[in-house]
Amino acid sequence: MAEPLLQLSGVHAAYGDVEVLRGVDLEVGEGEVVVLLGANGAGKTTTLRAICGMVGTRGSVRLGGTELTGKPTEWVVRRGISHVPQGRGVFGVLSVEENLRVGAWNRTDAKGIEADIERWYTVFPRLAERRTQLAGGMSGGEQQMLAVARGLMARPRLLLLDEPSLGLAQIITRELFAQLEAINREESVAMLIVEQNAELALSFAHRGYVLESGSIVLSGSADAVRGNEDMRRAYLGY
Amino acid sequence: MSPNIDNPAYLLTLLTGGLTNGVLYALVALAIVLVYKTTSHINLAQGEMATLGAFCVFELTRHGVNVWLAIAIALVLSFFFGAGLERGLIRPLERRGVFPVILATLALFLIINAGVAIIWGTQPVAPPRPFPSGIDDKIDLIGGAPPFFITHVSLGVLAVLVVLLLGLWLLLEKTKLGLGYRAVAANREAAEVMGIPVGRMYMFGWGIAAALGTLAAALVAETAGALDFNSMGVILIFGLAAATLGGIDSVPGAAVGGLALGLVMAVVPGLFTVIEGDLSLVIALLVVLVVLLVRPQGLFGTKTLERV
Repeated sequence: MAEPLLQLSGVHAAYGDVEVLRGVDLEVGEGEVVVLLGANGAGKTTTLRAICGMVGTRGSVRLGGTELTGKPTEWVVRRGISHVPQGRGVFGVLSVEENLRVGAWNRTDAKGIEADIERWYTVFPRLAERRTQLAGGMSGGEQQMLAVARGLMARPRLLLLDEPSLGLAQIITRELFAQLEAINREESVAMLIVEQNAELALSFAHRGYVLESGSIVLSGSADAVRGNEDMRRAYLGY
Repeated sequence: MSPNIDNPAYLLTLLTGGLTNGVLYALVALAIVLVYKTTSHINLAQGEMATLGAFCVFELTRHGVNVWLAIAIALVLSFFFGAGLERGLIRPLERRGVFPVILATLALFLIINAGVAIIWGTQPVAPPRPFPSGIDDKIDLIGGAPPFFITHVSLGVLAVLVVLLLGLWLLLEKTKLGLGYRAVAANREAAEVMGIPVGRMYMFGWGIAAALGTLAAALVAETAGALDFNSMGVILIFGLAAATLGGIDSVPGAAVGGLALGLVMAVVPGLFTVIEGDLSLVIALLVVLVVLLVRPQGLFGTKTLERV
């Protein structure tokens, strides 16, 4: 089998003396949607940050065969990874449209950028209505949509989504995931999703991993993860 | 109360004088703000770097270079000096905390100040004059006693600020570089994740700030008719006050803060001559204090408050 798009092997990460990741092994194939589950503090967000070089790591993170460990974030991002951080991380003092343009920072195809901006406006009409407004004044849900759209503006090979449904109304969450599914289907953008709403994420993902205290304790196809008894009790609540 | 308070020419003279000084404060305030916005550092050497730039202009014109060309060259040199300082001195220190950086800028202040005095001496020199500054280089507007006129120097200084603000606005609001700079200022980590070269944006801010400072110092020399190694000492204090008044992270705030400070410092002592002596500094700082009591973030500054 060819090398997967993203491959983490034995990744350790620590904040100061506190070790958060203790040897994580994880793969995301080309065009694959993978969901990363786990309790609060299990290290899900840190895993995404480790991929982007936002936290000091040991071990190996490879994207399409290129070693990313120890590289600066901006370099990693230029290789085709887009990270939608938790808590949105939109630029509050920039307008909605400026936020989208920042997302396209590494692109040089002016026409393509304009077309993509219009595209995400069509997908998220709320953003179109507020294109000249400052992002900081929008509701949490609107900011989340903006963060996702901004992440997609980079036209990434791999999209990292950290709790995309956090603070969103259920109907908006469903709409967002429908859009993500369409993007994955039509453009085969690979996705690694950290999500509290395990049921929803597993219904959309191809495969899943469960993280516990900084290690992967369960992995398999989405159906297998969903069918696992321990998993159901621990994270799905039934 | 001043006996001249009913005389419009007297009032107008106070206003134009205040505005002209205000431009100088505004330029220094802009430099401070542009550094602060991305790196959250106050560069205490901002004024001394500017003095060095102004002496650069002086040295170039002494060797026969046209004054405007000399200013242009000094601006470019200052840009690279500022950007280089950020990269070579400030950034390595930054990992060690805020105080090493503050101390480094203080050290720079002393080193440049002494260096300028060693090279060019402690006596004032006659600076190059970009604007016509003869006794007749003025526009008479109201005759009589006292008359009201605007000097070409005042007009020139005001015009420089207008052109500069326009240029800065275009640069920050309408270019990709400016967008990247503002994104880094807004959220450093998120900007990094977007692939924006954060370090280069820091260098850009420091470079532009240094160039602005040099321009300010050249104009300070122009309005004072003299340049020495301490020319920017007091101006830096007023620039800091103006930046604080306008809001330390606000570009328009720096401009408004500078002009407002200049006006207050000219008009208030000009109208109320109750106490003998030059109280302009005290008055200026009092105004800043009162504004900050009411609006701690300054007139246009961002409150550190975010929706969660």
